[in-house]
Amino acid sequence: MWAHVVNAALGIWLMAAPGVFGYAQSTPATVDRFAGPVIATFAIVAWWEATRATGRWNVALGAWLVVSPWILGYEPTAAIVNSMACGAVIAALSLVMGDFNPSKYGGGWKSLWQRDPLHEQRDRAGAGEVVGRSSSVKEGGARE
Amino acid sequence: MAKKPRAVTESGDAPPEEASEGVPEKGGEPDRDDHIPPGWEKNPASWGERLPIVGLALMGFGVAMYLSLYQWEVVDRIWEPFFSDTGWNGESEKILRGSSVSKKTMRWFGVPDGFLGAVGYFVDAVTGAVGSTKRWKKMPWIVIVFGLAVGPLGFVSIMLVVSQPVLFNSFCTLCLSSAVISVAMIGPAMDEMLASLQYMKRVRDSGGSVWRRFWGLAD
Repeated sequence: MWAHVVNAALGIWLMAAPGVFGYAQSTPATVDRFAGPVIATFAIVAWWEATRATGRWNVALGAWLVVSPWILGYEPTAAIVNSMACGAVIAALSLVMGDFNPSKYGGGWKSLWQRDPLHEQRDRAGAGEVVGRSSSVKEGGARE
Repeated sequence: MAKKPRAVTESGDAPPEEASEGVPEKGGEPDRDDHIPPGWEKNPASWGERLPIVGLALMGFGVAMYLSLYQWEVVDRIWEPFFSDTGWNGESEKILRGSSVSKKTMRWFGVPDGFLGAVGYFVDAVTGAVGSTKRWKKMPWIVIVFGLAVGPLGFVSIMLVVSQPVLFNSFCTLCLSSAVISVAMIGPAMDEMLASLQYMKRVRDSGGSVWRRFWGLAD
């Protein structure tokens, strides 16, 4: 969680950096101004437990910031240093998952393509609000 | 559908589920008046979860309407505390009235791009407010429309707003505020969509009619 707070701040910083360092209207400015808000968005969405996983998506964006100065040939040194430093920190912090307990969320997002996930087990145990899998009784919504 | 008082929907009268996962406890659960989805600890469709999102959507609607009224030239000047010398217009004017994006939107849709944002927030607010605290099961379609409007569509609108400095090297305080509001809505809205998607999976896996249940109809 704290890691995604730092990443959100770094993403916002990236939006401002081209103006602060005076390399606006350049290739690194374009990269920073696109990557920054995307990073901040993924990080902030990851503040909520059910969507913690979006924080991980920043690994790729952080890695891109580390390599982009060499792929795209950045001009001012400040842009190179800033991009690489922010990228390294963002990528590292994205690996800090923070607590996500899928058993509080019916098995989480991956339960949607799992066989017999937690929410189906609990549903059967709790008398089944949809259809008991082994029984043919269709209870419909009347039950609730 | 009557709105349940919050005391009922989120009271702690149901004991929290045992931590021992995998082993379904039988009979230990009381009647689910609180509409907690199976395998969950709390109801993601409770008013305590939804009302803040609806509030944010209404705030976003207000901001976007103000922006679009300025773009429509109904109001003459736009508040711009940071990117302007006078506290008005400044870089906001460049983006909202002068940019190619706003002109193209006006030509293609007949309305300013700020108005499209306002429509989006309106959809967020309505689909967030409609339905009872068991709507994740009773009307999955509205929960899923809500989730898609707030999540993926919200992300697209955020990107459109923040692309402005890339394209025009200018910032617009209220546009950025609108983006912040959109970002803040995504996280809290997604869990309810997850509950509805899990419900739809249970319907499919048990051989029910996914189509009919999606619209809240009996099989």
